[in-house]
Parts: sequence; structure tokens; C-alpha cells
Amino acid sequence: MADIVRKHVVTVEGQTVRERLQAMDDSAVVTAFLGGEERAFSELVTRYQTRLLNFVYRTIGDREKAEDLVQEVFIRVYRHLHRFDRSKKFSTWVYTIASNLAKNELRNRSRNPLVLFQTVQKNFQDEDRPLQFEDTTSRPDDMYRKRHLREIVEESVAKLPEHHRNVFVLRELEGKSYEEIAEITECNLGTVKSRLNRARNSFAEIIAPYVD
Amino acid sequence: MDCREFCDQHLAFVDDTLAGIELVRMQRHIAECESCAKHDAKIRRALLLFRNLPSIEPSADFSRRLDVRLRECQKEQLASTQRSMKFGVIAATLASAVMLGYIGTTLYNQSGPPRDIVMAPVVATLPEPELTSITNSAPAIVASVSAGLTIWPAALFAEQVPVSFAHSQLELANFTR
Repeated sequence: MADIVRKHVVTVEGQTVRERLQAMDDSAVVTAFLGGEERAFSELVTRYQTRLLNFVYRTIGDREKAEDLVQEVFIRVYRHLHRFDRSKKFSTWVYTIASNLAKNELRNRSRNPLVLFQTVQKNFQDEDRPLQFEDTTSRPDDMYRKRHLREIVEESVAKLPEHHRNVFVLRELEGKSYEEIAEITECNLGTVKSRLNRARNSFAEIIAPYVD
Repeated sequence: MDCREFCDQHLAFVDDTLAGIELVRMQRHIAECESCAKHDAKIRRALLLFRNLPSIEPSADFSRRLDVRLRECQKEQLASTQRSMKFGVIAATLASAVMLGYIGTTLYNQSGPPRDIVMAPVVATLPEPELTSITNSAPAIVASVSAGLTIWPAALFAEQVPVSFAHSQLELANFTR
């Protein structure tokens, strides 16, 4: 009986800690983790995994590789969290790591055409996969149109130069401020604005023939 | 407002970060300029499409794979800490052994009878005699050097005067005797 009670208490205690972590801001969660609360890291993963995955995927255009890179981001965060300057925003730091990894991936690809070919092959295989993010209640022709449109948008983003695309995704998808983007991409504010303006214009130009 | 200014401010216009007056000027320009109105619509429509892209979710085994990697990472960190601790212990042991040896030797040396201090022989050379400084010479000679005049014979003569005077007195005394 005592065991059952203890188990129940532990569970309730565990839930309480999780709930408490959920209510905390990033900085407090980081502090909790550095104070020895291992569950705090899971909370950080839960908060950022989808956001980072979308950011990296929109930047490099390869889903599997994006997952690998996001995992690498979390490993690096885990290893170096004690060195993180807590006077700064945690999200900016995480996005900086992700952005650098994505940049390296694109650089490696441009050096190694074989990787690019493999990526293309993967994308072809993706065509055969069932749709996971579509509204299944839609009619098949609607689904086709949506899927077609999504592919066009993704292809149009992929056509942007890397440094434009990075800024574009951070702003339009992640909703980051110009200042945060400047910090993440290690550029000055003027460069960020200029790149974003050019990226928007280029993207609109590329996609215009498909949507007009 | 002209079209160039409109394009320059368009980024802030789309992001809704313009001040009130500027915003009104931009809106007025759109109402007047068909080309800029088209450009604005094209950008906004493209952005709308991009922002509405469906979000992708991590795959089912994402968390499991991450857990495995994190556990490996933990092990590595633990092993690294243990390695550094081992190294620290070895270093501390060696340092204490050296220290104990030094203290032991010092104590042993201090416990015996006091010995005479034997110092190494010192080899020294006799310094050369210092040259007489020019300032020690007779002031008249020194003066003659800078003036370029031959004062020194006169000075020597002046030095000889008392001798000559004594000599003449002696001669005079001889005569009187």
C-alpha cells in the first residue's frame, strides 16, 4: 500500500514539475536544467523541435536531413548549455546554431554534387508517400491543387539565394524581428533589411506566373 | 511620394512598422499609382502563400533517436569527467609525493649538527687605477685648454715664485754674511 502511495506521489510530483516547466519562460527552463532538472531539457525539445524542423527544412529543402540537423542542434545545446550567455535570448541562440548547420549543409552540397543528386532522388520518392499534412476531408482535385501549390511554393523558396532564403524564412515563417535575424545571421540590420526586401521581391517574381 | 520612395519603404509598409504619416502617404500613393498597387498586391499574395505552407512535424521516431543520442552524449560527458578526474587525482598524488619528498629532505638536513658554510671561492681582479680627472688639474691649466692660451707656463712660474723668492733671500743672506 505504501508503495502504491509513494508511486502515486512520485507521478503527481512528476506531473507537477512538468506543468511548472511548461509555465516557465525559456530562461527559467534553462536555469532549471543547469540546476540539475533533466526534465527541463525535454521541455526545451518539445518547445523547439517543430519550429526548428520547419526552419531547417524550408532552408535546405530535405526533410530527412532537416531532422538530422535538428537533432544535432539539440545535441549541441545539451553539450554547451552551460556556456550559454543567459543575458541573451535562448531562442536566438538555438536558431543561430540551426542556421549555421543549415548553411554548412548547403555549402557541403554545393561542393559535393552527389549529395545533391541523392536529395533529388529522395524528393522523387517523396512523391509516392501519402500526404500527411493535407485536409483529408477535401476532394481529390482540391488536394491535388493544394499539393501542387505547396510544391510550387517550396520550389520557389528553394530558388532564392541561400543568404536571402535564410533571412526570408526567419522573418516570414518564424516571425523573428529584424534585430533577432541580424543576431542569428551575424549581419548588420541594414543587410538584413536589404536581403529581406530582395528575397520578397524575388520570391514574388518567381511564384507570380504560377498563381496569376 | 514617388515610386522609388514607395519601393524603399515597402518593406516597413508590409511589416506595418511605418509611422502614421508615412503610412498614410504610402496608402495614398497606392491609391494613385496602379503599378505600385500591383507590386504591393503581388508581394502580399506571395507572402500569404508562403506563410500558409503547412507545418511539418517531426517523424515518429524523432524523440527516440534523440534520446539515444542524448544518452550517448551523457555517457561521453561522464567518461570525459571521469578521465579528467583521474588525471587530476594522478597529478595531485604526484604533486603531494614531490612535496613530501622535499619536506622530508629539508627536515633531514635540519636535524643534523650545523655545518660551516662553505662558500665558493671568489675570483676577483684588481681594478685599474682611475685616470685623473681633468677637473683635478690645476685650474689655470684647465682654463688654458678652453681659452687656447698658453697660460700654464705662467701658472708654473707663479707656482715657482715662492721658491725663487726664498732662494733669493738665501742668496742675500750669504752676501750680508
